[in-house]
Amino acid sequence: MLQDILVTGLVNGGVYALLAIGFSLIFGVARIVNIAHTAFYMLAAYCFYSLLVKAGLGFAVSGIVSVAAVTLFSVLCYRLVIEPVREHESAVLIATIALALVFQELMLFSFGGHYLGIPSTLDGVVNLAGVSVPYQRLLILVVAALMLVATWALLYRTRLGLAIRATANDIEVASLMGMNVDRVAMATVAISVALAAIAGVVVAPVLVVDPFMWLSPLVTMLAIVVLGGLGSLKGSLIGALVIGYVEAITVFALPSGAFLKGAVALSIMVLVLLVRPEGLYGVVFEEER
Amino acid sequence: MMRSFLMAVALAAASTAQAQGTIKFAILGPMAFVQGENHWAGAEMARDEINKAGGIAVGGKKMQVELIRADTNEVQSVPDATNATERVISRDKADFLIGGFRSEAVLAMQEIAMDSKKIFLGAGAADARLGENVEKNYDRYKYWFRVTPTKSPDLFRSLVAILGSIGDQMRQALKKEQPAVAIVAEKTAWTEPIMKALQATLPKMKMEVVGTWQPSAVATDVTAELSAIERAGADIVFTVISGPVGISLGRQMGERNMKAVAFGINVEAQKDEFWAATAGKGNFVSTLDTYSEVEITPKTVPFVRAFKERYKKAPTYTAATYDAIMMLKAAIEQAGTTDADKLVPVLEKMEHVGTAAVASWDKRHDLIWAVGKTAGIGVQWQDGKKVPFWPPEVKGMQPFKMPAR
Amino acid sequence: MYWLRRGWAELKNEVFVLPSRTAVLAWALALLVLPYVYGDPYVLRIVTLTCLFAIFAASWDLLAGYTGQVNFGHALFFGAGAYASALVSLNFGVTPWVTVWIGALVATAFGVVVGYLCQRLRGSYLSLATLAFPLIALGLLFAFPDFSGGELGVSGLRRLATTVTANYYVAVLAMLAVVFGLWLIADSKFGLVLHAIRDDEVAARASGINTPRYKLAVFAVSAFAAGLAGALFAHYIRVAGPSTLETALSFQVVIWGIFGGAATIYGPVAAVFILYPLTEWLANFRAIGELRLLIFAVIVLLVLLFMPRGLSPWVRDRIETACPRCKQRNRAWRSACRLCGAPLENRGRSAISEKLKSP
Repeated sequence: MLQDILVTGLVNGGVYALLAIGFSLIFGVARIVNIAHTAFYMLAAYCFYSLLVKAGLGFAVSGIVSVAAVTLFSVLCYRLVIEPVREHESAVLIATIALALVFQELMLFSFGGHYLGIPSTLDGVVNLAGVSVPYQRLLILVVAALMLVATWALLYRTRLGLAIRATANDIEVASLMGMNVDRVAMATVAISVALAAIAGVVVAPVLVVDPFMWLSPLVTMLAIVVLGGLGSLKGSLIGALVIGYVEAITVFALPSGAFLKGAVALSIMVLVLLVRPEGLYGVVFEEER
Repeated sequence: MMRSFLMAVALAAASTAQAQGTIKFAILGPMAFVQGENHWAGAEMARDEINKAGGIAVGGKKMQVELIRADTNEVQSVPDATNATERVISRDKADFLIGGFRSEAVLAMQEIAMDSKKIFLGAGAADARLGENVEKNYDRYKYWFRVTPTKSPDLFRSLVAILGSIGDQMRQALKKEQPAVAIVAEKTAWTEPIMKALQATLPKMKMEVVGTWQPSAVATDVTAELSAIERAGADIVFTVISGPVGISLGRQMGERNMKAVAFGINVEAQKDEFWAATAGKGNFVSTLDTYSEVEITPKTVPFVRAFKERYKKAPTYTAATYDAIMMLKAAIEQAGTTDADKLVPVLEKMEHVGTAAVASWDKRHDLIWAVGKTAGIGVQWQDGKKVPFWPPEVKGMQPFKMPAR
Repeated sequence: MYWLRRGWAELKNEVFVLPSRTAVLAWALALLVLPYVYGDPYVLRIVTLTCLFAIFAASWDLLAGYTGQVNFGHALFFGAGAYASALVSLNFGVTPWVTVWIGALVATAFGVVVGYLCQRLRGSYLSLATLAFPLIALGLLFAFPDFSGGELGVSGLRRLATTVTANYYVAVLAMLAVVFGLWLIADSKFGLVLHAIRDDEVAARASGINTPRYKLAVFAVSAFAAGLAGALFAHYIRVAGPSTLETALSFQVVIWGIFGGAATIYGPVAAVFILYPLTEWLANFRAIGELRLLIFAVIVLLVLLFMPRGLSPWVRDRIETACPRCKQRNRAWRSACRLCGAPLENRGRSAISEKLKSP
């Protein structure tokens, strides 16, 4: 049973980490609480489905095209909808909610409320310490790890990363130092949504694709990000693992309470916040102190 | 504000110009979802069939059938569903209401229909309380009848009957006295009585219960549950599921090459889309079902064939709106009126041979359960096809299969 | 006679002087006479629900708009009110006229608990943490189906009144009373403190304001109103179900609140009165009825692009101007302040004269 918990928690934590890190990044840099984050994840899943199942393109082509298309689309959405109201925090908030609703309804209209399935990229199972784990889940874990490393490298080893970190630290000083803050924010949006889209493409084959698939990961993701501390990448990673394990332990310890796993995870988040209001690794922002 | 209302009123009145000599059936369902699609498709088939044959004879006059399509949006919003119900009654002047799916919404819709004394034939919600209302307060709720599905205790009787035959097959194949059963029931109120009864009944059927797992109805990931079930060594995974978790379960069992076979209620597995939704991983998943190309009644096979030809897929249980309209037609012609109070006693005494079942009513206006009449059928997914296997005495059944060990 | 004259004078001096107040009065009167002018049960049903949601939206605004506690889980209070009232009424056979108050009080208790737990949370942390509470409550409801009815909720509730019109008046009067009450609170000294807390909590505390106590109080008041709305809603549609706790409802109220203009009370009410009937009206068209939520979201997006502060502040700025000296509001077309006589800079007119001069 212990090995079951260890493996299941790790795999689920990996998926959550992919989503949470993108969300955290965009909040840290641009202070945008992007409710539509998981809606982009859903769009990527639908896009992948259309290309792979309907158009019959290969896994690689469909995957790359979906991620690229959704990322470009997100930049467009940012320019058209978010940027004009950036000054008004509350307007940004409902703009992202409205965007998510638009995506949901568009998908509902064009695909119906049907549950769609995407074939696995890799078939088969492997036996890890007595637990059978499908290859697809291992793929998710590997992709999640790769993306985390890539994001880290981007932030700490490139000039763009430096600019992003500087903007996250102090937007005014960054602007005074000659950085194009708007451009940086846009780049961050692109990176963040690309992470969500990659998550959509690799995770969709183990889930069902439907127009409401953005809601439940949204809540889990928000719990993770708040638990780990808004804007902290390390926090998001650790938060994702914590929630992944909490859910796995709930199911194993309390089989007839498996439906409570979401509620238990959220309660853990509330508990952490009671002790540390800024989350585990949260940054206390100047204006919010 | 007022103006937009008045405009709404004017436009709505214009759009539903009164057609003379028609009987209006409002079809209430979540139209963006499979349930609503089937509500509507079943009703369309009935309308076209009746109108082609000249209509419904009411006291020597032939009346045409007019359908009103009402999207209740009940999956997303309960108040929307109640508004739609009020709209078809007071705005569209519907004569009869048919449909409904989500029990929480249908309970609210039932109240509105009863307020205005409209006959409401339920075709989707399984909650026993809808029928209990009729028994408790007959004068108010007598206008409610449930065409499909049968109420939960009867679903349980069908399930046990099928499980018995699967269990026998298992004992022979595995040379095992007591097949191990893992119960996976979504955590909802309607599964509760079925689950309790099951835990009491299975030991009597010489089956061992190795555990009960209760994921949420909308869970997308049951890998943790499945690895626990595998560890418990289950031979049968007994499902009591109406939500999309049924797809995740089927798919993830297939992905893990589990040796256990899933049977029970799995509403998603009743749909033609199930095979694609599991990406072909849902082999051997079996469920209680309503429609298949087998002779439950003489009308079943022609109906299913015609439906498949017209809509390019097989009907699910909510397509019993067809039966609902046909039933009303028979009742109206017998009573010679569309008056609700006069129709209720006629409906109560009727035995209607429909496409899904041979229907007759108990005092809760629920279907009376009988194998081969209203008990439904057992179906299993075998290599991309949904194959009927129970009850064996009905023509057209095929054997139940198990994964290779 | 004296009171009539006095009333008329009040009306003339306090209400008719401002177009926005006149509009509010006209709207309230229109609501009160509607059943006599147009008694269609369907329209009355929509307006009834609109009124109940208006209470809900206004209660959110007091908490989020005025105090800056942007609650993403406001459905918790709505659902708590609905379930509490439904359960008490059904299990103990108490008349709904009593239980709606019990529902509101239970919601208040929930408000105090949430307020207490979230006392140290700021900004987005508060929003995201509050999102969790209704979902935890949903988990608990599903855990005890014997008590809560699980996904079916509690059904078979009694109505407050028997006829359509009577139910309508219950909702309208409750809405007018609660919204006016909330507006009075927001406009009082208490409301001023709330403003201060939102703008700078540290400074407010430094000026000797016990901010935690104020925040708790506003959570309680807001939850009370939301709970009342939820309880009335449950008895109106006669089911208290899990849909009253869903995230979708929490998001809906955020949209109403910000769309109408936060920190105004009347803004969210106006937003509900526009958006709710509008989406319902769209459902009347067979062709686009199933697209109504999409159209709704697009309208919200478009309106935001042009009026980022929300609808009602935008409209109000068009029809009224604030006096530069005494800050009192005036009709936009007045040339001098109605109270202190200071000349008003009339944007509309001066813009036109600028244009005339320029060529």
